[in-house]
Amino acid sequence: MLASESAPTGGAVILVVEDNHLILMSALDLVATAGYEGIAAANADEAIAILETRADVKLVFTDIEMPGTIDGVKLAHYIRNRWPPIHLIVASGKQIKEESHLPAGARFFSKPYNNNSIVAEIAHMLASPPPPRH
Amino acid sequence: MAAPPHGLGPQATALSLMLAVIASSNTPLLLLDGDLHVIAASASFCHDFQIEPASVPRSRFSGLGRGEWAAPQLSSLLESTASGAGVAAYEFDLIRDGQAPRHLVINAQKLDYVDKEQVRLLLAIADVTEARASQKLQDSLLREKAILLQEVQHRIANSLQIIASILLQSARRVQSDETRGHPHDAHSRLMSIAAVQKHLASTERAEVELRTYLVQLCKSLAASMILDPELLSIEAIVDESVTDADISVSLGLIVTELVINALKHAFPGHGAGKIVVRYESHGSGWALSVSDNGIGMPSDAQSSKPGLGTNIVEALAKRLDAEVEITDAHPGTSISIVHPHLAAAGPARSL
Repeated sequence: MLASESAPTGGAVILVVEDNHLILMSALDLVATAGYEGIAAANADEAIAILETRADVKLVFTDIEMPGTIDGVKLAHYIRNRWPPIHLIVASGKQIKEESHLPAGARFFSKPYNNNSIVAEIAHMLASPPPPRH
Repeated sequence: MAAPPHGLGPQATALSLMLAVIASSNTPLLLLDGDLHVIAASASFCHDFQIEPASVPRSRFSGLGRGEWAAPQLSSLLESTASGAGVAAYEFDLIRDGQAPRHLVINAQKLDYVDKEQVRLLLAIADVTEARASQKLQDSLLREKAILLQEVQHRIANSLQIIASILLQSARRVQSDETRGHPHDAHSRLMSIAAVQKHLASTERAEVELRTYLVQLCKSLAASMILDPELLSIEAIVDESVTDADISVSLGLIVTELVINALKHAFPGHGAGKIVVRYESHGSGWALSVSDNGIGMPSDAQSSKPGLGTNIVEALAKRLDAEVEITDAHPGTSISIVHPHLAAAGPARSL
């Protein structure tokens, strides 16, 4: 199942980065149900490769602990430096990560996250101006 | 081992006693003169550091053994001690050929006694190699435990996320509102347990502050179950109680069931209203209540037949030695879980 198939056309593009396949599918389903176009990456390296080819991604929703060369926190900083306008939501099962470790404007949710809270945050971010340059 | 007393005449007895005291010390001891020659060494020193006792008397300190005590820092430490500065707990690594290094703590002291002319230094040498290693091991075990615990909590959170995701996905696939409710309810129950898990992971303690937990839980229930927050709201009024984790899980599940129940039945046809969750303790007694200002209880027995939620609440209340009391609140319904005040300690106590 590709989430983008069921997404209404015209919805903002959201890149979901998550190494656990079940959580990834479900997150794609979540953004699609909320009316966005979700695209998937299984780790930070894949996410960067996608962002290099697609200029239409408005928001990245990423896990923290993933295999590959960098984790989700580093990915968030990398994206903020290289593509400043992209909004960032970071989720993790670890409690220690605070928003202070993240780039300015990024939001942190601990797992298990509440789907409605994620959808509300996405809507809020997409309605706001691009995040401040850190 | 003791240096032979020579030329001391009448003081021979006192000297011999002092040398005997040093020789018999269990802590490795050395008595040095002002030029850092050894006057006496304890048997324990010779034994612990494998030094031939006969070689000790009148040898230079730095000449002991095969030169392993000839470290320049050690000599300057002893020289400064001889000139009056006491040195406490100097750490020194004793390196010998073919042997693992020993970590020593050396206390050097200039002895204060009647003969001001003759400088005498007393060295106490403690071998802390094993103690340090075991301290290090203990520290690393503690660190490892903290990392493992974090890893376990991380895995639990991820597993809960997977289950939560599957439940909500199945809810979306189901067409009828009636059956869609079941995975939604299961999702709420799961999130209520996850809230305790999060709470525990964020503190060092195995106890839960009920106010923080129940307020967070009600927020999460409202976010996942209330479609229009303008119409319906959930408020938690909780005292300063703290409880053990397993008790707070039970209390949280009861709140979850009662809130689900109120949302399902108290406000039909998108009616407006409020649900209030209250927890108070008095000594060992406590009361948890969930009240709504909805339509009240059905009068006919048919529609009030107990569902899964009721069974869960009754089972949990029984586990907590509490009674379930249902009262007509005019308007609405109030359900209380009451644990009477007893002489024995109850599950909750005030901070």
